[in-house]
Amino acid sequence: MIHVDISKCTGCRSCEAACSFFHTSKVSNRLARMKVMHIYETGIDGPVVCVQCEERYCMDCPVDAMTIGAFGEVIIAPTICNACGSCERKCPIGAIEQLDDLVYVCDLCGGRPKCVDACTEGAIIFTQTSKTPISLSEMKNRTDKMNTSERRRLYVETKGQAVRTSWRGEHG
Amino acid sequence: MASYGYGGNILRIDLSDERFKIEKTSASWIKSVIGGRAANTKRLFEELDPSCDPLGPENIIIFGVGPLTGSLLPASAYYTVTAKSPMTGILGDSAAGGQFAAEMKLTGFDQIIITGRAETLTYLLVNNNGVKFVKCEELTGKTIVETTSSIRKVQRDHSIEVAAIGPAGENLVLFATIVSSGNRVNGRTGMGAVMGSKKLKALGVRGLGAVEVAEPIAFLSEVQKMRDAIAAHNEYDKRYRLGTTMLMNDLNSIGILPTNHFQEGVCDYVDDISGERLADEYKVKNKACFNCNLHCSRYYVAGEYEAEGPEFETLCSFSSRLGSDDLPFALEMNTWLNQMGLDSISTSEVIGWIIECQEKGFLSPEELDGLSISWGDVESIRNAVNLLTLREGIGDRLADGATKLSKDFSEEAQKLVMQVKGLDIICGDPRGIKAYGLTYAIASRGGDHLRAEPYFELTNRLEESKRRFGTEKAAMRMEEEGKAALVTYSEKIALLTDSMTMCKNIGLCMDVLNFDNASALLKSGTGVDYSAEKLQKLMGDSVNLQRKLNEKFGVSREDDTLPDRFVCEPLPRGPTKGSTVNIDKMVEEYYRMHDW
Repeated sequence: MIHVDISKCTGCRSCEAACSFFHTSKVSNRLARMKVMHIYETGIDGPVVCVQCEERYCMDCPVDAMTIGAFGEVIIAPTICNACGSCERKCPIGAIEQLDDLVYVCDLCGGRPKCVDACTEGAIIFTQTSKTPISLSEMKNRTDKMNTSERRRLYVETKGQAVRTSWRGEHG
Repeated sequence: MASYGYGGNILRIDLSDERFKIEKTSASWIKSVIGGRAANTKRLFEELDPSCDPLGPENIIIFGVGPLTGSLLPASAYYTVTAKSPMTGILGDSAAGGQFAAEMKLTGFDQIIITGRAETLTYLLVNNNGVKFVKCEELTGKTIVETTSSIRKVQRDHSIEVAAIGPAGENLVLFATIVSSGNRVNGRTGMGAVMGSKKLKALGVRGLGAVEVAEPIAFLSEVQKMRDAIAAHNEYDKRYRLGTTMLMNDLNSIGILPTNHFQEGVCDYVDDISGERLADEYKVKNKACFNCNLHCSRYYVAGEYEAEGPEFETLCSFSSRLGSDDLPFALEMNTWLNQMGLDSISTSEVIGWIIECQEKGFLSPEELDGLSISWGDVESIRNAVNLLTLREGIGDRLADGATKLSKDFSEEAQKLVMQVKGLDIICGDPRGIKAYGLTYAIASRGGDHLRAEPYFELTNRLEESKRRFGTEKAAMRMEEEGKAALVTYSEKIALLTDSMTMCKNIGLCMDVLNFDNASALLKSGTGVDYSAEKLQKLMGDSVNLQRKLNEKFGVSREDDTLPDRFVCEPLPRGPTKGSTVNIDKMVEEYYRMHDW
């Protein structure tokens, strides 16, 4: 899975640009499977990407278009997917997004994620060890009425609280 | 149809009747200027009535990006805002990095051209289909971050990028800025006042498109070279740690750090206000522009004040330039200026000018509504900045900037304004960096270094200097020989970085961009065969066009000069002691090289 240490993130979006470019040969936030949020109120920046969570909320697909791959990544069969948007709505952190009837979610680049190479700060780490998956149940409860963008923001904001506490401890 | 790289469309917005029009970007038109700043200048040249009131509805304000903006090219994060300047009455423009430009690019608009004046405070939301006009009187007096937050929250999209004005822009402070990404500033020439005059609080962008290059594999290979050149640069570690604030110690060590309003170039307490101290005691993380692997920006926390920055200009403007050794005060001011929307250089100049004039007895407190300020008097400085932000009391006159304010006073007081063509000079004493001196004198937006950023003269790369400019002296800071050649070369590279677009700090100061790699990047990026010679020619033509535009505004040869201080008064001590600038000679040589 991909671990993000947002205390090291500078908000440069090299991960996002590389993700988009190596999947589509174009650069766009919309085509990236990893999207960086910038919270200008607090100086917190951080990418949002599928964490292959314990609950797998998205997998409850009405047309069974989704499977799980060898690295735990979500795989969507484009020939079965009817672009209903269910998986996007169910992800509590906004890591899945549909654009023009295509679904964008992290595929771990088949085990060699480009975002990891692109990050010069060591903020993105890929690990194949079978650590206990992250639970997103708390995020799920808090994000019921939110849209995808709002969920992404809340996720980064929540992760950023500990970073801000450490800043304030040192310099407040 | 424009080629690969470009968004392909131009958006025209008239605030007076709330209408917009989408046009195709003309391939032949854009090819001759690449994009960004050069394209904005051409647009202004072709469409603006030069006699218009800069704060009237007929002034045109243009947001422009280039063919490589928002692409895989590192630091391709820049956009330029252009209009007739209310500070100077001539060509006004200012570029900024951050995240705004990359998002604007995804809307498919290479330029957003705004005219007219809204009836009440309004913000614009641009997507690929056009623009939504949103009345926003509730945002009156709001800071940049408050405005950005509010727009994102109301629109329920936290990836909208916002370029906004603060209270200073609304109040038509003539050196008001536009700020995006919370703290990324289009600082110079008062573009924020132009927005304010149009009752335009903010421009929000959110695109659906993508940046598509002509030859992705070839482009990737060129991009990798650029990333490697940045990562392997001998100043990487220093710039990563300090960003531009490294210049506090660098300029002081050669005796050109503006101290007490350019009366001195050596600051005895530089360690108290240095980039190193800032990094050690207040910096909490690095920040970066879109897709940049230098990460030279920083975020700091200092008590109740926190923000991105400061850059060198703001740090120096609110420390040594005003005789203050108070670093936390400079950080407070950085937060304040960014959030209120004020240019730090011009704000500092009006205050520094008052202090020096009062010190010399040219200006009494009574003539300034009781205002009395002395070096390092942070309480009085804070008070003056507050007043001018709101145009309250004497602040109403300060808000017109030092040059205009000085007109009410004696000739000797007027001569103490450190300005060219009405634009206040940046923090770098030209008596010890002669190519910068020439740049301030000839810069098409007034007293400014970024038009050429001839950082090369500080590098002592003698062999390279001889190869490029025919003399070793172009790489020696105290020399005047070869400086016209250096400026003539680097003004074209500066324009190219602003036009394709990328960061000038990387492209120029770190000397990463040249006509050859730019040619390869643009060829694989756009599919248009720009040779290195062709790019030189196009940028040269565009420099000439800036000149022609400024002639329409009434600029002439006599305006290309420096304040008397730099020409007549030698610096009193330090490594630049005794030096002055023979500006006329350099300007004459520069004119010869341009056939002007």
